[in-house]
Amino acid sequence: MAIHERSLVDPERVLRKDRLVIDGVDVSGDWNLIILPRVVNDYDLEFYDEVIAQPEGKTIVNCYQCSYCTASCPVHNYWDERYNPRHFIYLARLGLIDELQKRADVMWRCVSCHKCTHRCPKGVLVEEVLKAILRVMAKRGIIEEYPSKKFDKFFLDSVYEYGRIEDGELLFGWIEKQGYQVVKDPILKKPIPFIGGVPEWLKELAAKPLKNMNIGFLILNAKHMLFHPRTKNWNKFKQVLRKVMEEEGVYTH
Amino acid sequence: MAVAQVRKPPMGGIGKRVAYYPGCSLEGAARAYDVSTRIVAKELGLELDYLEDYNCCGAMETKNVTFWGTMLLNARNMSLAKRQGHSVIVAPCNGCSFSLQRAEYFLETDKNVFERINSLLKEGGVDPLTEIPHTYHILEWFYHEAGPEKVRERTKKPLRGLKVANYYGCLYTRPHFYARTYSHSGSEEQERPRMRETADDDEHPYYMEALLEAAGATNVEFEPMHTQCCGGPHSLSDEQVSEKFVMMILQTAKRNGADIIATECPLCHASLEMYRHRLMMKGVPDVDVPAAYFTQLMGLAFGYSAGDVKLKDNLSDPIPVLKRLGLA
Repeated sequence: MAIHERSLVDPERVLRKDRLVIDGVDVSGDWNLIILPRVVNDYDLEFYDEVIAQPEGKTIVNCYQCSYCTASCPVHNYWDERYNPRHFIYLARLGLIDELQKRADVMWRCVSCHKCTHRCPKGVLVEEVLKAILRVMAKRGIIEEYPSKKFDKFFLDSVYEYGRIEDGELLFGWIEKQGYQVVKDPILKKPIPFIGGVPEWLKELAAKPLKNMNIGFLILNAKHMLFHPRTKNWNKFKQVLRKVMEEEGVYTH
Repeated sequence: MAVAQVRKPPMGGIGKRVAYYPGCSLEGAARAYDVSTRIVAKELGLELDYLEDYNCCGAMETKNVTFWGTMLLNARNMSLAKRQGHSVIVAPCNGCSFSLQRAEYFLETDKNVFERINSLLKEGGVDPLTEIPHTYHILEWFYHEAGPEKVRERTKKPLRGLKVANYYGCLYTRPHFYARTYSHSGSEEQERPRMRETADDDEHPYYMEALLEAAGATNVEFEPMHTQCCGGPHSLSDEQVSEKFVMMILQTAKRNGADIIATECPLCHASLEMYRHRLMMKGVPDVDVPAAYFTQLMGLAFGYSAGDVKLKDNLSDPIPVLKRLGLA
C-alpha cells in the first residue's frame, strides 16, 4: 500500500511484513502495512507565540494547510521532498520542536523564490513566515549554524560597514570562509582572484576577462576590490542601524 | 494585520522621468547591464535620474536576518528619491525592486512600522517619508512608457534569426502582495483582476518577449522555466541546489532551440554564467547556451556595436553566437 507523503512519516513507525498470515488467512499484499500512531506529549505552545511576535510571522495564523505552497516549492519538487513548507507551518503551530529539529538540515534550504507566498490563497506570507520560524529556532538554539545564515551575516556585515556590497569581495571572501586558501597581496590584504587554492572552475572564470583583454572591466573591478565602494555620510546612519539591529538581537561585529 | 493585505494600486503610467536605483551590482561586475540600460533608455526617449548616494537594498540576505534593518535601508533610498523630487523609483534588478516593494508594502499596511521608521530616519539624519514612492522594475517601465511600437520604430538592425529564451527569474512578478501583479484566484481560465495597469502577467510574463520580438528576435517556448529560481540568494551558500536549478534552466533553453538566454537581473545572470561554466567543465550535456541582458540585445538592435553594450563583459561569451548570425 502506498503511503501519501511518505517523507512525513518516521521510518521506525512503519511496520511492514513481506508475508502476513492471520488466522490462517494470507493477507499479504494490501494489508501487510501498519503505521503506528504517534503520541505527542512534548509540545511548546510558546513557540507559536514567538513566531507571531515576529513582524513577518503574523500571517501564519491564517494558514489552512492546503499545501499550495509545498506544491509550488522548487526545493520540494526538484531537490528534497523533506523540505515541506506546509508541514513546517503545521509543526510550528503545534509547537512540535523535536520534529522541527529533525528537519533542521533541510529547513534553511529555502531559495526565497516566493512562489509559495504568491500562490497562497489565504494571504499567508509563507516565505516570510518560514524565515520567522527559522529565526525563532536559531534564537532558541534548536538549529545550529547553517550555510545560508553564515552567508547572510557575511553579507550584512558588508552592508553595515560600507553601505554597499562589492561582488568580488563577497565571492572571494565567501570562498575563503569555506576553507579555500585565497592568496592575498601583501600590502592591502586583498584577494588575488587568479591564483591560490580557489576552485578550478572559478579560477578559469575569473581569468576570462583577462583572456578577452577586457581592460575596462578588469580596471573597474580591481578598483572596487581595492577601494570598496561606500555610501557617503554613512556613519551617522550606521549608528541607527546598529541600534535597531542590537534591539533585534542581531549580531554585528 | 493577520492577513497579508491587498492594497489599492496606483493606476496610470509610470512617467518618462524617474529615479534610477541601479543597485550595487550594476556599478561593478554587471556594468554591462547599466551601460546598456542607459543606451536603451536614451534611444526610447526616457530619462533616468541617478539616485545619488544610495545604499544597498539589503537583498534577501539582510531580510533573513533583520526586519527593521532592512526596512531602514530601503526607507533611506525612498527618502533620497523624494529629496530628488521623484515619486517613482525604477530598479533594473529583481532583488532591488523586490526589496523596495516589500518595504513599500510594510510601510503602507502597518502604521507602527511607518511611524517607527520615520523617527529612525530622522535620527539617522535623513528626511522622514511623507509619502511612499512606488517602485517598478525597469522592464515594466520600458514596456509601458515606450512599448514594442517604439522599439520597432527605433530598430535599425533587427535581431533576425536570433532565437531567444526569455528568463524572468523569481521576483519580477512575485509575490503579488508586494509586486502588485494579478491577484491570484487559483483558476487559470477565470479572468483575474489586474492590480495595476503597469503590471505584467504573474505566471506568464510577456513584456520581455514583446520587446525583443519588436526588436526582430524570435522567442522560443520557455515555460515554466522562465520564472524558475536560479538558486538566487543561495547561489554561493548552497551550491548543489543552485547547480541543479541552473542545469534545468539551461537544458530547457537549449532543448527548446534557444541561441541565447535573455536575462533581466544581475544576480540571475551571474548565477547562470557561473554555474554554466561549472556544468560545462563537468561535461553535463546541453548547457552551453550563453546569457545576455535583454538591454544588450535591444542595444544591438538599435544599431550599437558589441563594444558599446559591453558584450565582452558576459562571462558566458555570447559573441560567437551573435557573430554567426551577423548581429555583432
